[in-house]
Amino acid sequence: MSSNSRKLDEIRAGRSELENHYIDELVGGRISRRQFVRKGAVIGMSSSLIGVILSACGGANSSSSASSTGSATSAASGTPKQGGTLRLAQQAPAAAINPLTIADAGGLNMLAQTGEFLVFDNNLLLKLQPMLATSWTPSASGAVWTFKLRPNVKFHNGQAMTAKDVVYTFKQLSDPKLASNALSAFTGVLTPAGVTMVDSMTVAFHLEAPNGNFPYLVSSDNYNAIIVPDGTDFGKWQSTFIGTGPFTLKSYTQNVGATFLANPNHWAGKPYLDGSAFTFYTSQPPQILALQGSQVDGIVQFTAQGAQSLLNSSTYNVIKLKSANHRELSMRNDQAPFTDARVRQAVALSFGRPEMITALLLGAGQLGNDSPFGPRFPSTDTTVPQRVQDLTKAKQLLTAAGHPHGFSAPLVTEQYEEILALAQVMKADLAKVGITANLKVETQTQYYGKDTYGNSDWLDSTMSLVDYGDRGAPNVYLESPLTSNGTWNAAHFKNKTYDNLVKQYVAALDLATQKQLAGKIETLLLAETPIVVPYFVDGLTATTQRVHGVNPTAISAIYLNKAYMS
Amino acid sequence: MAIFILKRIGLALITLWILSVIVFLAGQVLPGDPGRFVLGPLAAPSAVHALDHTFGTDRSVPTQYWSWISHFVQGDMGKSYTYQSAVAPIVIKALGYSLKLALFVFVIVVPLGIAGGVWAALAAGKPRDRIISVIGASSTVIPELVSGIILIVVFGIALNVLPISATAPPGAGLPTQLYHLILPAIPLVLILFGYIMQMARAGTIEALNSDYARTAILKGLPRRTVIWRHILRNSLLPTITVVATQVGYLIGGLVIVETLFHYQGVGSLIVTAATGRDFPMLEAGILVIGVVFMVATLVADILYSLLNPRIRYQAAE
Repeated sequence: MSSNSRKLDEIRAGRSELENHYIDELVGGRISRRQFVRKGAVIGMSSSLIGVILSACGGANSSSSASSTGSATSAASGTPKQGGTLRLAQQAPAAAINPLTIADAGGLNMLAQTGEFLVFDNNLLLKLQPMLATSWTPSASGAVWTFKLRPNVKFHNGQAMTAKDVVYTFKQLSDPKLASNALSAFTGVLTPAGVTMVDSMTVAFHLEAPNGNFPYLVSSDNYNAIIVPDGTDFGKWQSTFIGTGPFTLKSYTQNVGATFLANPNHWAGKPYLDGSAFTFYTSQPPQILALQGSQVDGIVQFTAQGAQSLLNSSTYNVIKLKSANHRELSMRNDQAPFTDARVRQAVALSFGRPEMITALLLGAGQLGNDSPFGPRFPSTDTTVPQRVQDLTKAKQLLTAAGHPHGFSAPLVTEQYEEILALAQVMKADLAKVGITANLKVETQTQYYGKDTYGNSDWLDSTMSLVDYGDRGAPNVYLESPLTSNGTWNAAHFKNKTYDNLVKQYVAALDLATQKQLAGKIETLLLAETPIVVPYFVDGLTATTQRVHGVNPTAISAIYLNKAYMS
Repeated sequence: MAIFILKRIGLALITLWILSVIVFLAGQVLPGDPGRFVLGPLAAPSAVHALDHTFGTDRSVPTQYWSWISHFVQGDMGKSYTYQSAVAPIVIKALGYSLKLALFVFVIVVPLGIAGGVWAALAAGKPRDRIISVIGASSTVIPELVSGIILIVVFGIALNVLPISATAPPGAGLPTQLYHLILPAIPLVLILFGYIMQMARAGTIEALNSDYARTAILKGLPRRTVIWRHILRNSLLPTITVVATQVGYLIGGLVIVETLFHYQGVGSLIVTAATGRDFPMLEAGILVIGVVFMVATLVADILYSLLNPRIRYQAAE
């Protein structure tokens, strides 16, 4: 042990204040080994460094544990086999394959096939890993993040990747004058002027405000952020798919499919597969049938409803990913009867959440506790008590709030995945405490409307049930739908204490502070209950037993650099 | 005859123009805009405006229509808003797929339907007629979705003898392509068989009861000659009309079959274009179906006149 502590001291000498803080937390037992691995990765510690620190603290390196992935994973087993073309079914891209504008599940997976990010958000391990950046460090305040680039990386056209390419990419993505989908993540965080080249292999991001989770915004989590060569015309990108990734484009046909070939010049070496073939589908049932009929070897992502045959079968590997993909029921905090927090709590107490997960997600989900903090995020304070169904208490609260016989209110929602069924279950649960929810179901276009207050049923309805897709950090969920000046605040929730806590959370660099603030936010949201988050939806990927080493993400991208077929 | 065809073509062109205006105006009523569709519901409004500007959908409605139609008449179908690439190759490819499936279905169902109808009519009122009629009537009402799923589950999964996907692998020869089309063709054959069989049966029964048929039989012509030379020719007339009117359905109306069997025909292309407010793609798709439909009815009319001298002579006058 003495040799270990000497080793630890030697490591500490060369580390930053923040890194030493995490080492302290680990040594003091305030964070677990897994949390140390996840958090260490966010602030840019290399895997080998993390391994050395963990071993110096005793025990084996547990960083490669993938147990958090649920039942089955296709983690590599045995010796990988070379060759073969993996055939996968996926949702058809909804629009042009343009890295700037892509916003749909089908399209973003196309970007992920030939493109690479500075950082990889490994959803199987729930941690950040180096991709085109080898390390990253925040300034003391967290307002400047510096990324060291991987040397000897070549684009598919043979050109070497340098800081120039990275700067170009992020200047375009954060430009408010361009049709950039990444603006939904960068607005208020990064402007083109903030992206600077330090030297040919170093890039610095000067943020508009300190941000402890910034590496997630340049990771695979922000799917538009693949690094493209300096000067790329994004509108023409779909004819080349040029990137640095392990596969190069062979063919792409709108609405039909895409094929890729292994890149022999990839910085990590040639992948095991000779290539991959994606077939596009417009709905889920034919994808399941295609897998069952052996027309494809896997489905990139599917939803539980209608997929009983895959979930209940031992013929297929089903990879379950904990995700932050959730449903949010907002209640207008400025409209009666929801001006009274007791009424909002009563609504939340009437829901049987485990039953919802069993019935609507066939078990492929995690409990929600009426805040965006879920099992996906390391900063979630899990000691905050879980809200459970309590009809008696709900009725008491309603009586105390002056609604002993309940009331009726409209509940507007969108046609999307299992949401219609969820709205019906909610209506049935609410009826148990005397609340009549008048359901109105709209197409997504009608529901979202113009996305602005006064022009959107989503943001204007008394009760509104919406979906939020997966993200690696909870920042957007905490800000846009809940802060006083949030752009998607469908609950019209305005709370100064909350706003301050979120500001501090976003700026916090170390996990202990983040966790402490998360606990306060979770507690505040439980007390105020502006929104109900009944559950988080697991990401689901299915393959045949022959397929190994695929690495899917909860936003429905799949990485095949380590995939092989037995 | 030439004047008749020219007149018809002229009328068809006017109809197509009216169709293009209707589609365009209908497209304006649909909620949402292309930029929002591409960038998704949560995109920044500035990004949506920027994209709409690149598409040109922020221009006035007449400007958009004029810009589209002036290019269209010069053979330029324009650029798809959502896919940001030329419309023509996409529509032509989809049309090729649709035509292939439609042709395959017709080759099976037309002879089958006519033979069934005539065979039933020759035994009108007897058990054979009843059985064929009931089969025809029942098969017509089975929705493609139901028959399609049953076929997939039985032949594609349980027995695993026929491919589920209607799209053959790239570079496949004609036999392989047809092999992939067997399963998707069956639901359509089931639906169309009833129609065609009923028309052929009714036409044959009417012809059998006609004076000329009675005369032919009474003057001692062999039964075979009576059927082939006198009955069939007259009984086929209404059948041709039915077949021609089904062309539009087979080219553009197969959204369910195309989705279920994963086939990139014109039907699903149009639905996707309408959902995404991809106006150039929608116009091109619908006009292509319109053209096919009009060509089919024109061919049917010509065939009709060839089989029916009365119409031929009227047209010549």
